[in-house]
Amino acid sequence: MKPTTRAVLRSLVPVVCPPEAVPLTEAIVDHMGLALDASPALLRTGLDVGLVAYDLGAIARHGKRARSLTGEAAERYFRSWEHGITPMHRQMAHGINQLMSLSCYEQPEMMERVGYRPAPWIAEVTKKRLTVFADDIAKQDRQILAPDPLRRNRETTSDLIAAKKVGS
Amino acid sequence: MAVVALHEGTRPSGVFTRHDIHGDTVVDCDVVIVGSGAGGATMAAELAEAGIDVVVVEEGSYYGTRDFTADTSAMIRQLYRDGGATMAIGNPPIMFQEGRAVGGSTVINGGMSWRTPEPILQRWEHEFGLAGIARELEPYFDRVERRIHVAPMDESAIGNDNWLLKKGADAKGWKYVGNLRNQVHCIGSNRCAFGCPTGAKQSALVSYIPRALHYGARVYADVVVDRITRHGKRATGVMGHVRRPDGSRGHALAVRAKLVVSACGAIHTPALLERSGFRSPSGLIGHNLSLHPNVKVVAIFDEDVTGWKGAHQAFQVREFEEQGLGVFAAVNVPPSILAMSFPHRGAQLGALMQQYNHMVLAGLLCEDTTTGRVRTLRGKPQAFYQLNAHDTANMQRGLVLLSELLFAAGAKRVLLPFAHAKEVATPDEAHRLLDKPIPTHGWEVVTVHMMGTARMGADRSAAVTDFHGQVYDADRLIVADASLFPTPIRVNPMETIMALATHAAGHVIDNTRRLLS
Repeated sequence: MKPTTRAVLRSLVPVVCPPEAVPLTEAIVDHMGLALDASPALLRTGLDVGLVAYDLGAIARHGKRARSLTGEAAERYFRSWEHGITPMHRQMAHGINQLMSLSCYEQPEMMERVGYRPAPWIAEVTKKRLTVFADDIAKQDRQILAPDPLRRNRETTSDLIAAKKVGS
Repeated sequence: MAVVALHEGTRPSGVFTRHDIHGDTVVDCDVVIVGSGAGGATMAAELAEAGIDVVVVEEGSYYGTRDFTADTSAMIRQLYRDGGATMAIGNPPIMFQEGRAVGGSTVINGGMSWRTPEPILQRWEHEFGLAGIARELEPYFDRVERRIHVAPMDESAIGNDNWLLKKGADAKGWKYVGNLRNQVHCIGSNRCAFGCPTGAKQSALVSYIPRALHYGARVYADVVVDRITRHGKRATGVMGHVRRPDGSRGHALAVRAKLVVSACGAIHTPALLERSGFRSPSGLIGHNLSLHPNVKVVAIFDEDVTGWKGAHQAFQVREFEEQGLGVFAAVNVPPSILAMSFPHRGAQLGALMQQYNHMVLAGLLCEDTTTGRVRTLRGKPQAFYQLNAHDTANMQRGLVLLSELLFAAGAKRVLLPFAHAKEVATPDEAHRLLDKPIPTHGWEVVTVHMMGTARMGADRSAAVTDFHGQVYDADRLIVADASLFPTPIRVNPMETIMALATHAAGHVIDNTRRLLS
């Protein structure tokens, strides 16, 4: 992630994420980097360009870059993009909100906060399934490999090759 | 035993990855299949069992059941094409998701296993000349259902969100069905969309792929197919390259084959055909894209729901299936995915998300009446799709109905899927809000069902392939994925894809002398 992109995203965490997520700013931005790495190149480029525009656009309005805005000024500036005069402004704000919200609630602390604890649940039900339904699971595993040809009594390719060799 | 190896997360023999390809490589076989999902894996298993030498080429990586963890975003990065951030351009843009892993989208789907509805098959017969299709496909549906173990859910695995959906349907007197899914005692980990961590879902990864390997097929994972090679109109193999972890090109892989099968889905199959220089007499490659647009609402209940403890989609409301609203269903998603769908932010987002365990996410699937197109731009596919007024109005009506159902189940608030989310607290409020047209640019629309871009039909001037998936005006080239669907099918497409692929495999086996000599 480019330093500019990172700096702007860092400044947006208090605007987009709930207050309790602010101590997780670095982890949230790191996660956004991972998500962006897996995204289409066009989207990554669009976000980089958009964030530069967002960063510099604040100078005309607030006399400093967006990455340096805090509190109410940062909030007002982001809102001006959410309700921006062009679809590009609105789409950019929407995209940042989506991506950052995703990364915010991927943090273990935030999942815990909303009561989402999938790992122990998965471990519990996996163990239960393997214990209670072992016979049916084994039966299906056998079924998957059991012979059941789609067509019977057909010539296989090996037959054809063998026939060709005999013929020659 | 291959199945045991898959469940243990080790790579079974017969699966080759980027780590096994140490230089430019040439492989020979009878049939090369591009894609290892519902269509590709099914064909591979059927052909391999018939003694045919099969190579499957898959762009995604190989993961076993034990690789599927509770880390949602890691799973998305590993199992979804472009991290799940793929989009059909239109107003509104429509996000769609495709699997990219050995097993294809069956690794990340909900496992809903439905036969093509009878009225759809009748339409295909009458409008597209597919005479006797219902009768002809029936034994293949039987076979697929046996193989992937299509069964009703164990009641004990059904989560509260789905019981609430049923409660609402009961209160309204609406028709619903218990879901049929490809599972063996699904126990409700609710992680279908991120790779089933219990192995209960019988995706291609744990069913058709192990079967194909057992009968001698080879799978090359991490390989992107650049083009189908050809001699005149005859397909002769594929050329591809290894995909490195950073996305860059690795060594070349050439597969020489007597028959080529494209099974890489309705977005990538048309692009592969086009960039390989195949043309259809109909001019319809890439046209006729259907999407089953989905919209969702989030209902908030006083009672605890904790929908993540329970199976993914246990019921489907089918009351309005004849009116273009194929399915209403409840689907739980992790908090991160839900949070990104809300327009809220800051403290508002935090307050809303505190109610995560009281939420039911319910969606509806629209049987679309318009079509879009996949264009090939610099060799890569790009989908274009514009919702029409009819479908928008129909989905808007569906949202009113879905809200009514959720209120009937006891919801206190319902959040609607618009950019500046509207929240309603009574069915009347939903009616009032949704009685007026809502501009499409404010809609949040998603899909996971892409279909129709190489449609089959009896008339070569109006279709891309015949009923067996054989591409018109090409030789030894078969399509075996949802591209074949002449129309949307109003239900989840996996089983239809598998049945069509089995049908195509039977045709290849019956015509070995002509197709594989």
